[in-house]
Amino acid sequence: MEVLKETVEEEEAAEQEEAAVRAERSEKMTRPMEVRREEAPMTQEMLRDLEKKLSDIDMAIPEKPLTFTKDTIDISSLPLSYQSNTLKEEHLLQVVDNFSRQYIHLCPDRVPLFLHPPNECEVPKFVSTTIRPTLMPYPELYNWDTCAQFVSDFLSMVPLPDPLKPPPYLYSSTTVLKYQKGNCFDFSTLLCSMLLGAGYDAYCVNGYASQDMCQMDLTRDVCPLTVKHQEVVQEKEKVPPKKYAVKPPRDLTSRFEQEQETKKQKETKAEEERRLREEEAHLLDAEKAKTDPLHGLRVHSWVLVLSGKREVPESFFIDPFTARSYSTQDDHFLGIESLWNHKNYWINMQDCWNCCKDLVFDLGDPVRWEYLLLGTEKSHLSLTEEEEDGMNDDDDVEKLGEDEDKSFDMPPSWVEQIEISPEAFETRCPSGKKVIQYKRAKLEKWAPYLNSNGLVCRLTTYKDLECTETLEIKEWFQNRGDMLELRHINKSTGLNIDYFKPGHPQALRVHSYKSMQPETDRVMEFYDTARVDGLVKREETPQTMAEHYQGRSDFLTYRHVSFGDRVKKVALNSAESNSRPMVKITERFAHNPEKPAEEDVAERAFLLSEERVQLRYHCRDDHITASKREFLRRTEVDSKGNKVVMTPDVCVSFEVEPMEHTKKLLYQYETMMKLKNEEKLSRHQAWESELEVLEILKLREEEEEGHRLTISIYDTKRNKKSKEYREAMERVMHEEHLRQTEAQLDYLAPFLAQLPPNEKLTRWQAIRIKDDCLSDFQQRLIDKANLIQARFEKETQELQKKQQWYQENQVTLTAEEEDLYLSYCHQAMFRIRILEQRLNRHKELAPLKYLALEEKLYKDPRLVEFVKVFDTRPGALAKVARAGNLPHSQASVPHTPSR
Amino acid sequence: MNRLYHSTEPQVMDEEMLKQAVGEQSLRDEARQLARQEGVLFKDVLSLRLDFQNIIRIDSLWHFENLRKLQLDNNIIEKIQGLEHLVHLVWLDLSFNNIEVIEGLDTLVNLEDLSLFNNRISKIGSLDALVKLQVLSLGNNDISQMMNIIYLRQFKGLRTLSLSGNPIAEMEDYKMFVCAYLPDLVYLDFQCIDDHMKELAELRYQYSIDELKQQEHLTQVQLAKEQAQQEELEEHKAAFVEHLNGSFLFDSMYAEDTEGNKLAYLPGVKELLQAYKDKFVIICLSIFEYGLKQQEKRRVELDTFNECVQEAIQENQEQGRHRVARFEEKHSLNLNTLRDESDLTNFETKIVEYSENITELFNVLMTLEMQLVEQLEETINMFERNITDLVALFIENVQGLMAQCRDLENHHHEKLLEIAISTLEKTLKGELDEDLPEDVRALFVDKDTIVNAVGTSHDLHLLKIDNREDELVTRTNSWCSHLVDTIHKDEIMRNRRRVKEIYQYIDHMQNELDSLECSEIID
Repeated sequence: MEVLKETVEEEEAAEQEEAAVRAERSEKMTRPMEVRREEAPMTQEMLRDLEKKLSDIDMAIPEKPLTFTKDTIDISSLPLSYQSNTLKEEHLLQVVDNFSRQYIHLCPDRVPLFLHPPNECEVPKFVSTTIRPTLMPYPELYNWDTCAQFVSDFLSMVPLPDPLKPPPYLYSSTTVLKYQKGNCFDFSTLLCSMLLGAGYDAYCVNGYASQDMCQMDLTRDVCPLTVKHQEVVQEKEKVPPKKYAVKPPRDLTSRFEQEQETKKQKETKAEEERRLREEEAHLLDAEKAKTDPLHGLRVHSWVLVLSGKREVPESFFIDPFTARSYSTQDDHFLGIESLWNHKNYWINMQDCWNCCKDLVFDLGDPVRWEYLLLGTEKSHLSLTEEEEDGMNDDDDVEKLGEDEDKSFDMPPSWVEQIEISPEAFETRCPSGKKVIQYKRAKLEKWAPYLNSNGLVCRLTTYKDLECTETLEIKEWFQNRGDMLELRHINKSTGLNIDYFKPGHPQALRVHSYKSMQPETDRVMEFYDTARVDGLVKREETPQTMAEHYQGRSDFLTYRHVSFGDRVKKVALNSAESNSRPMVKITERFAHNPEKPAEEDVAERAFLLSEERVQLRYHCRDDHITASKREFLRRTEVDSKGNKVVMTPDVCVSFEVEPMEHTKKLLYQYETMMKLKNEEKLSRHQAWESELEVLEILKLREEEEEGHRLTISIYDTKRNKKSKEYREAMERVMHEEHLRQTEAQLDYLAPFLAQLPPNEKLTRWQAIRIKDDCLSDFQQRLIDKANLIQARFEKETQELQKKQQWYQENQVTLTAEEEDLYLSYCHQAMFRIRILEQRLNRHKELAPLKYLALEEKLYKDPRLVEFVKVFDTRPGALAKVARAGNLPHSQASVPHTPSR
Repeated sequence: MNRLYHSTEPQVMDEEMLKQAVGEQSLRDEARQLARQEGVLFKDVLSLRLDFQNIIRIDSLWHFENLRKLQLDNNIIEKIQGLEHLVHLVWLDLSFNNIEVIEGLDTLVNLEDLSLFNNRISKIGSLDALVKLQVLSLGNNDISQMMNIIYLRQFKGLRTLSLSGNPIAEMEDYKMFVCAYLPDLVYLDFQCIDDHMKELAELRYQYSIDELKQQEHLTQVQLAKEQAQQEELEEHKAAFVEHLNGSFLFDSMYAEDTEGNKLAYLPGVKELLQAYKDKFVIICLSIFEYGLKQQEKRRVELDTFNECVQEAIQENQEQGRHRVARFEEKHSLNLNTLRDESDLTNFETKIVEYSENITELFNVLMTLEMQLVEQLEETINMFERNITDLVALFIENVQGLMAQCRDLENHHHEKLLEIAISTLEKTLKGELDEDLPEDVRALFVDKDTIVNAVGTSHDLHLLKIDNREDELVTRTNSWCSHLVDTIHKDEIMRNRRRVKEIYQYIDHMQNELDSLECSEIID
């Protein structure tokens, strides 16, 4: 193309300059063959290496066919666009071929471009048209990180058939999604399509990367999940000293000594650091694998996201295998041949001797990036301000001219719309499971609901590089009925920590334990707002139990109970009563602002074994000491044998501000009585806490065994109830439908049956059928009217007879008989009236019914074509009239007899 | 006791009766025994029952400072008296007595429940102080005026009222009226008021109540306004420049100045006076603004000082508390081991060690306190210097402005004198055509008279200005010295309290140790 020619001159100059470098590179690039030849005698060693490496990555490779060839793909069902090229595409291919030829001519030392590999149907397709920008309907796939994570999870990786060359085929994303496996080019094509759909400025990159990256070997990378977030401690801004701030007391320590001390510390620190560094370096050396003989030659494909769109502040790479983002300066990326998106294709004209570190991703710069198609959106040529100002005008003019002539639109993508079913989206990994090996760590992922205990992710951390000694295991759960979210098992200390989401029946938040046995070391933390007693935390050791509270109305914040040894006693009723004796209960209270500090107890300790109670009060704002009181509970008997209620030495107290009334025995006595009750209460509460621990442990065990999973009511597939409900609804709908069709009875069936079957109706036949049907109906109406009429007449006659009989025998009739007669008359009259009404109603409705039937017949699909043309309906009205003109009895209704 | 219940003799409240009543407080056996043994202090008593005692006069109750509940029902009391000291009283029962007038309750601001059932009261009043009143029982009395109910509108917390057995309860509209005028009432005459009733009453008396409300609102607004004004004045007073934001000083100069007022009738004096007044007021205003600004400055200064001192004290206290807590921890351990120790020599060494610990704590605490005292002294001195400087500057500037006032006055005086003399000349020549009032004309008899008149006016003015200035200066100075004094005094008090506290604590510790020693030796 002309553009290329234009650049040729520029390039020639540049080429001469870079000749030396380029030669070097070409040497490197052509090396693979030599490498093989040269190192042929060392194959044994190489093979072993390879074997080892392969065994390393064994986890990531599915057992089934290592190569993902077209034989396994059913191409018959693929749409037409997959199997052939449109005219435009043919044209594009010609353009591309032309370009390729020129390119080979101009840069003979570079590898041929990856331009139009055949697709699954062996049809060559330009790579840009293989990208199909699609915005996924899942909100989770709107951002690049989740998109990349999805792609890396969803597909399993197949290595390139030849690690030094781009693949011979490039399949459509739909096929790749269907079979859930692909090579790096498939990965990046899919990811690029999704990112473009989501509005990112994304490009597929064809380039060279490190061995680890190409083989998706993460064993030398630290697992991102193990990296601990470093807490950023925000240093408080130093408040400038106020005007009247007091001066600090004079420091009387020797400065010299201090200096010496700090010096010494520094030295030891430096020593330590040096030692650490050495160790690290040592480790690094050990970890560093033998250098890759094919370093810099391994072909890889990844995604480049340029800054600008979607508020991306800086350009970065995404490795589609691992879904990790890298800066464009990263060491793993060794060079770029070309890159493309759905609109254009760019070839890198910059030198990659220093990996990708010096590359400038300014795709509008024709010296650095040779573009294939002109006119399609010159990618942001980032000129400096002045340049832009100066060049803008003529540039525009030029552009206009160019656009008209040479712009060649990229044909639309031949790939079908990329679709991911919700099931597939949820299952994510092929068959719902994925294992990734990291440096000293193994990450396993499962689809939700795949494991019956709700396990979705497990991270195993190892002590050594060979992954034999387990250090700790982290397990993430989802949809657990007991709200367990994360379990952290530390193998070295044997400590288990369970983290719960809000909603556990006992409001558990964190539970760390070594064993599920009661009365061992454990810490339980709770969601205090969900608990009535405001318990935040309960720590247990074999001898003690400490509870922390928050937001209680009695201001209790802390209770500590120490237990003594269990008394060995003959088990009478061993089940309940043998609880550990409490030795000491200490309770702490927050200050109640309504009480004066010296009357508000801050801490009270019941020494149960010594019958001693210690009280410590709150400290007043302007004091440094707090009041104390100690009660010794002993019942004493005086010389006369009377019980001494209270003696001054029962209570030893220290008061900051002695008050008169507190010295009184009465006051002390009352306080002591109150304390007695409170002691009982505290003991009871401690006992209840013990019971609760047992209960929680029991509950936890049950939950662990049962591991019930919760299913959202919106999850109609899994939720049995809603599934049943939906099915029931469907059934009802179906039945309703059946009933409706039944209701539409076929009027014509008996008449059609008379005709010979499987013959088309003639018009004459149709009209006859219609007339027959109508006349039949008319007859029925008349019959019905006659029947009613007959009954009416019969009733009337009978009544008349009865009346006659009555008039004859009126004198001789007994009262009873007369009553009987009268009631008969009454009933007969009623019957006659009803019959009359029915008759009238029938007379009214009959013509309407007749008309309705006629209408229906006219609309009947079987007759419509014959009847419609000839729609005079002769005599229809007359017939109706006849039907309406039913025999009407003129018989006068006899009057009710009156006495 | 029997004697008390059955005698018809009127009784007088005396010590003995009160003791008896206190002793009978509902206590359990053991506690009662103790109470009898020790005796109970009247001021610790929270509730007292004195019913059916035939008491005729309330007396001798001043010891019961903390009384919360007092029952004086079923006596023959005729006058409410002797309750002034029971300011904590919440519950007062004076039912079934012979009281005729409500009185003597003005100090019982905490009263919530008052019963005056079955007395001879005819008018509700003198309850203004009882802002927390919730329950008021006035049944079986002689109240006959509906207007008494409107008086009860001021008690926002009133929920229960009983008025049955009064003449007004017989009136037909009684219930409606009460419900309408006391909408927050929940129980009337031992019955809950239903919402329907309330609505009806509201509808019925809507207009009169609205009017009442409007009036109440107006008075409230008026009150608020007055209060705001008062506050503003207070603020100005604190800045020592009250009444300087206008012509108040100028007006006061002329208020008592008869001569000056007379002279104002002279030709040209009016304009002169006006110009003088304008200038004078401008200076006054500048004094006023300057005063407010300075006041703000002083306030900020004082606030910073207080804040810093508080911070220092807090920090020091925190350290002290920390020390004490640490000591206490160790102490409890020590005591336990001491108690268990059986070997005498060991015991003694431990005792010695322990007492050393106590001394150490004492030293540490005292050092902390001394340190604080030093620090605070320095700070206080600095503050004192600064505030005195501020005040001095303020006074100086105000004096300068006042001097300007005086200059104005002098100037005005000269001008006035000129005019007066020229007028006198004119009068003498008989050229004066303006008609002056008689008493003004009387001044222009000779030169001495007129000069004297102008002179007295001038002197009076100067005196006023001087007075104002003096007042400002003395008040400012006294404020300053008072402030500094209080700060010093507070600091001394604080120091003494702390030292006392430390001594007390250490003594206690030492005592404990001693007692332990003694007991050990005895054993």
